[in-house]
Order: sequence, then C-alpha cells, then structure tokens
Amino acid sequence: MTDKTRNSTTDGGVPAEEEITRPLGLPRWVSALLPIVLLVLVLGVFAFTSPLAGVQSGEPLPDVTITHTTLPSDETVVLHVTNNGPESVTISQVLVDEAYWDFRVEGAGGDQTLAPMESAQIVIPYHWNPGWDLDVTLVLSDGATFDNTIVAPSQSPGFSLSLLGTLAVIGLFVGVIPVALGMLWFPYIKTMSDRWLHAVLLFAAGVLGFLAFDAGFEAFELAERVPGAYEGNLLIVFGIFGALLLVQAISAWREGRVAAGDKQASSGLWIAYLVAVGIGLHNLAEGLAIGSSFALGRVSLGAFLVIGFMLHNVTEGPAVVAPVARGERPALKHFAALGVIAGAPVILGGWIGSLAYSPTIGAFFLAIGVGAILQVDWEIARMVRDAGGRVASATNLLAFLLGLGIMYVTDLFVAL
Amino acid sequence: MPSIDYNSAADITKRLEERLVESLTGETSVSRRTVLGGLGVAGSAAVGLGSSRASATSDHDNGDEHGNFGAVGEYRDLNFDPHEFLTAFNTGESGQDNVPQQVYEEDGRTVREFEFTAVDTTIAIAPGVEFSAWAYNGQVPGPTIRAVEGDLIRVKFTNLGRHAHTIHPHLKNLNPRMDGIPQNGPGVLDTGESFTYEWIAQPAGTHFYHCHSLPLKEHIHRGLYGTIIVDPDPERVRESPREYVNYPGPITDDFREQLVAEAKSRNHEYAENDAVNEMVMVMNSFDTNFDGGNEVYAANTRAFGYGVGATDGNGNWTPGETKRPIQIDKNERQRVYLSNATEFDLINSFHTHSQFFDYYDHGTTLTPTNKTVDTIMQCQAQRGILEIDYSDHEPGLYMFHAHQSEFAELGWMSFFEVV
Repeated sequence: MTDKTRNSTTDGGVPAEEEITRPLGLPRWVSALLPIVLLVLVLGVFAFTSPLAGVQSGEPLPDVTITHTTLPSDETVVLHVTNNGPESVTISQVLVDEAYWDFRVEGAGGDQTLAPMESAQIVIPYHWNPGWDLDVTLVLSDGATFDNTIVAPSQSPGFSLSLLGTLAVIGLFVGVIPVALGMLWFPYIKTMSDRWLHAVLLFAAGVLGFLAFDAGFEAFELAERVPGAYEGNLLIVFGIFGALLLVQAISAWREGRVAAGDKQASSGLWIAYLVAVGIGLHNLAEGLAIGSSFALGRVSLGAFLVIGFMLHNVTEGPAVVAPVARGERPALKHFAALGVIAGAPVILGGWIGSLAYSPTIGAFFLAIGVGAILQVDWEIARMVRDAGGRVASATNLLAFLLGLGIMYVTDLFVAL
Repeated sequence: MPSIDYNSAADITKRLEERLVESLTGETSVSRRTVLGGLGVAGSAAVGLGSSRASATSDHDNGDEHGNFGAVGEYRDLNFDPHEFLTAFNTGESGQDNVPQQVYEEDGRTVREFEFTAVDTTIAIAPGVEFSAWAYNGQVPGPTIRAVEGDLIRVKFTNLGRHAHTIHPHLKNLNPRMDGIPQNGPGVLDTGESFTYEWIAQPAGTHFYHCHSLPLKEHIHRGLYGTIIVDPDPERVRESPREYVNYPGPITDDFREQLVAEAKSRNHEYAENDAVNEMVMVMNSFDTNFDGGNEVYAANTRAFGYGVGATDGNGNWTPGETKRPIQIDKNERQRVYLSNATEFDLINSFHTHSQFFDYYDHGTTLTPTNKTVDTIMQCQAQRGILEIDYSDHEPGLYMFHAHQSEFAELGWMSFFEVV
C-alpha cells in the first residue's frame, strides 16, 4: 500500500525516475529547446531562400466581409469591413443601389487599401430612406465586387449616456428582476422532499439545456457573418470546449480541496455559483444581442417583448438557488451575489454589444455560455447522484422535459 | 413652392415615413438572432423607452447632405486619353502613333493600310478599377479607321494575345474570305499568326468592327471593337444621289447640291469638313465580376471620363485632371460618330440635355433618319451619326448620357462644356 502511494502521483502518472534523464548526454533543457531552435532555423532558411518562389498555383482570391452596417444619421451609411484574404485589397469604388457614390475609408491608415485581417469603416454620405432596402457594393481594384443589402434601414442610436442608461433599464427588467423573482422560490424549495428537490434541480438542468441549444444555434448562425479569417465555426468550438474545460478544471480543483478537508468548498453554494456563472454568461450573450440590435438600429421595444423576456428568465431563478436548498441557508449576501452574477450580465452585455458590436465577439460569448452551461448540467447531475438520488428517475426525466418545454414556450414570446 | 411650405411638408414626410417604417417593421421577418435582437415589435414602450427610429429631418441646406454622386478619385493610368480618342482618326495619311499606317495608290484605287495587333492588356475603367482587356493595338475602343468611299482598307493583323482572334468588319464586303469569322477565310488566328484583311470601304457611313471569335460575348466585351468611318464621295453623290437618301420623290438640282454639300462636310479630304468638330464615341461596358451584368458603363471606356471633377451641388464645378467635360466651340457644328458595343444589355442610348439633334442611322444617308430628337437608342453594333448645333446655347455645361438611369449612374454620364 505504501509502495503504491509512493509510485503514483495525484494525476495518476508514474514518476520518470527510471527514464534516461540525459538523452544523448545532453541536459534536459537542451533536448526541450532543440526542436524549437531547429524549427526557427528551417523557417529562417525558408524565408530567406524562398525555395517555393517558382511554385505558383495562381492567385488567391480576394475576400472581403461586410460584418455589419451602421447608420449614424440619415445622411450617412457606414460599412464595417474586414479583409479576410491573404493579400491586400484596395476598395476603389462603392456602388449604392447600382450607382457610383462618394465614400471614404476610415481606419485603414489613410488609404483605401486593407492589409490581410485589417478592418476599416467605409463611410458613404447618402441620404437613405428609412425602411427602404439599400444595396451597397464594394468594387475592388481588380473589379471584384462584394455586396451587402441593408434591409429596412433605420437609424442607429450611436453612443450616448442615455443609451447606456436605457440598456441598463432593459437589463434590469429582462435580466436582474426576473432572476431575483425566481430566487424568491427558495423558501418553498427548501421545504421540498429530496425527490421533489431533485426534480427541481433537473428542471433547472432542462432550462439550462435549452439555453445551451438556443445559444449554440445562434452562435453558429452568427458565425456566418464572422469574417472568414477568424474561422467563426472553429472559434465557437473553441469557445464551447474552452469554457467547459475551464469550469470543469476549477470544479476538479474544488474536489481536491474537498478531499483535503475544506468544508466550505463542498457546499451546494459552490454549485449555485457555477449555475449563476453559466446563466450569467448566457445572459451576457443575450445582452450582447440586445445591445447590438440597438447599435444596428433594429430595436423597437414593446411591452409584450419585455414580458416575454421576464417569463423566460424567471425560470432561471430557481435554477440558481436549488443547489443550496439543503443544509445551512447561506448568508443573504450570497443570494444577492448569485442574483447579480446571473442577471446583471444582461446590462454589461448590452453595453458591450452597443459600443463594440461585432459578430465575432457575439459568437464567442455565446459559445462560452454554451460551454459553461454544459458543465453546469453535468455538475447538477452529479449533485443529485451524490445526494443519493437517481438522475434518470421518471420524475427527474419529466422535470427535465418540463424545463425544456417551459423554455421553448416562453421563448416563443421573445422570438417574434 | 406651391401651397405647402417646407415645414409642413417636412412634417408630412416624417409622418408618412414613420407610418411606412411601422408597417415594414411589422413585416420584417426577423430571426431569433436579430431579436433577441430585433427585440420584437408588439406593444408600446412599457418601460418608458422611446423608439430608436430615425426621425427623418428634411433640412437640405446644400447638396452635400445627399452625398456626392459619382466615381471617387482620378484615373492614374495615363496610357489612354479618352479626350484624345474622340478625335483620333487613322486615315493612313495621319493618325495615332500606336497604329502604323500608310496610304498609297494601287490599280487606280486608294489603299489605306494599317497594322493591327491584338494584345492582352489591362485598362482602367473607373478610377482605381482595372479590367483585364483584349485590345486592338492596346486600346479600348480599338483605333478608329477612316477611309473614303471606294478606297481599299488593308489591315495587316497580327494576334499576340493568348486567345485566337479575328477582325470582322461591318462593311459591304464582297469577298467572304475577308469576313473575319471562324468558319471562313483564315478562320481564327492563333497566338503569333498574321493575316491581311482587305475590305472595300462601302457603303458611306459609320461602321463597326469587332473580333468574331467564340465565345463571342467574351471576345467583344473584353474590348475587341472599334469604329470604321467611311466618308461619302461627293462626286459619287452627285452621280447617284438616290443611294444616299431614303426618299422616292424627284431629285431637284437644289436637293442634289444640298446632298453634295453634306457629303463634303462629311469627307475629311474636303475643306468643308474642317468646319465641323467630329467626335467618335463608342458606348461600351464592362462586367468585372463575371455575373453577366456590367459594373461599368461609359462612352469610350472610362466611367465618368467626360464628367466633372468636383461639384458643390450649387452649380459650381471644377474639372478634374482626368475626369473633365468635352469642351466644344458653340460656333462649330458638332458631329458624333456613335456606336454601341455594350454587351449583356439589349440596348444602349444617347440623350442630350437642353438640345435636339439630327440622327443618321448607320450614317449611310445624307438626310437624317430622325430629325430633331433628343434621345436615340442603339442595339449592339448599331451605330449612327448625330449632328448637333449649340450655336443658340449659352456657354456652360450640357449633359449627355444613356437614358437608362442605371447605365448613367454606373458611368455613362458625360458633359459638353460649351464655350
């Protein structure tokens, strides 16, 4: 027994004492650096001698993405463009509704040429009509064209303190208040039997599962507008796995602490915080979408919509507090913190989305939210199992389904 | 302004616009994204939020608020000057440096000999926009050939392009070997091959030449076309005036002299011709993105090449370095040899502002086919002569353009500056 513990490390690996510590008689650090040094050398030789200079299989195609457009005034159209191609492109002319039009390129170093991965704004003085579709085409120096239709244009609000205030109020209504209201079910949840508590937990898992799909689909939809050079779809995959593994790593570290006898780490409060973070990330993405649609001038807020959002988000409240229903009631400050973590990111997301909107950021935040939610669902299942419950009991499965169902129905209110 | 003043007009406009926006927002099918996004539609602002909709204001103090129309920037490629091209006639005696030519007598006939070379090149069709062209002697449109009725036009053609080309003349050609088509004579000429085309200059008029290799659309719209002007011979007109009119009635002596006078004014070898300012215009267009539609339209290749450099929208304008109006002397008669090389679109047109002109379809008659018109249209390869008189007009800018608005806004919009 003692022998065993000596020979295995905490991560299950085997000490390498018996391995050759000095391969070829070189110090370890030399053998670690050698491949890197050689790689640099080879790259250097390649760069200076360019052995493939004669190998030319044609020219790469120009690729320009119009990520989004803003309409700061009814006399101005602004296109946000990124050069995705491997070569520089020059935007020589701009067509508005099939007519050559005046324009200037801002943010490209004073000229009309965009280096690879460079972004710029194309500002077109054009007196557009609200609601009348506008077709804008970029003509590059080689005559290649890139086209964008601004559907039913309406003025973008632009930056102002009152806009930030407006978004804060929206965030309060669609994020913070419903989550806080949902958390008020806590005393009731506390009185529930284990069986029903587990059902509530699985209900929360269903709510989160729905959000994961919802955000995931949106992320991939948004990825279509991410400039090709950023590999939108892979960025989402990275975001999902990144968040999932990161939160899981933190969780594993916590279990290490529990095993080491840290009582605090073992409480349901931890899971409650994880749930809050997952929901918070989701709400951040929701806020981004709200803020960006403000920035794009695509918002007309109605009472019905706000009510829809509130119904939708109120279910997130019990999801946050269910994990702390057993054992000692945490201090009230924890409840406040949970509510803020879960709900307030709507406000933050709204600000980010309205000030620095980009499909890339939007898709990435959505992906992070998905990853975090998946991890939380996993955590909830373990929580139920650790408490002696059966995750896949009939009650629990139906509760999970109910969570999905309620989210689907309430989602209809906001997807008008 | 009529009964309503600007303020109330603005109010009405605003209300109408808002109503329109409202009806549209309702229809706009927004994805879940845009609404998490589109933040829906229904209801009023329960949380006291105003609509973010644009309130369209209607204060137009100057034209700049509508933005300046037109291509941005100047042409940097100075190999081709559309202003020089207007009056660059290659007669064999004189012409462009890039068109080797000579004139001589052979078997009692005047021979005008030209060396043509088809090359692959790049031309500027809008400021900063380049087009891969196939061009006779490196220019689009190709060199203008000018001969007198009955002359022999001899074109020593060498193809230096990557693709096989020909020259097909729209003349009354009695030898099918000289028709410049793939199916006859030398057929298409591959890279490096040469052939000497010989055509009798007939009938009098303004004509078209182009490459007839297949695919035809590609070979024409890449730039292989140009104008052949055949000047009427006044002596021949005197002998057989009926060939030059579409008129069955008696030919009086006065009428005969009138036709001869018109022929002299058309014939570059007569002093009467010097009194007329003659210009060659080829309406052409370019598809830069291979979608079978044109991104650029022009008279003589360059979008807005005969436009103004800058304007404040209040009547003040300045010529640009490369974009400038065609200056014409109001006391001179103006004659335009116009042809249409536009590909993909069925027709092109020519419209003069504040002006009416006489139009001689194909230029084959000495009396106008359309008298006193301000718009004519041409299908591809159709051509004609316009005679325009600005002697009554005040000095200043007079626009002329295709009256397909789309073509005009895509470059085929030009000006005469009458001085």
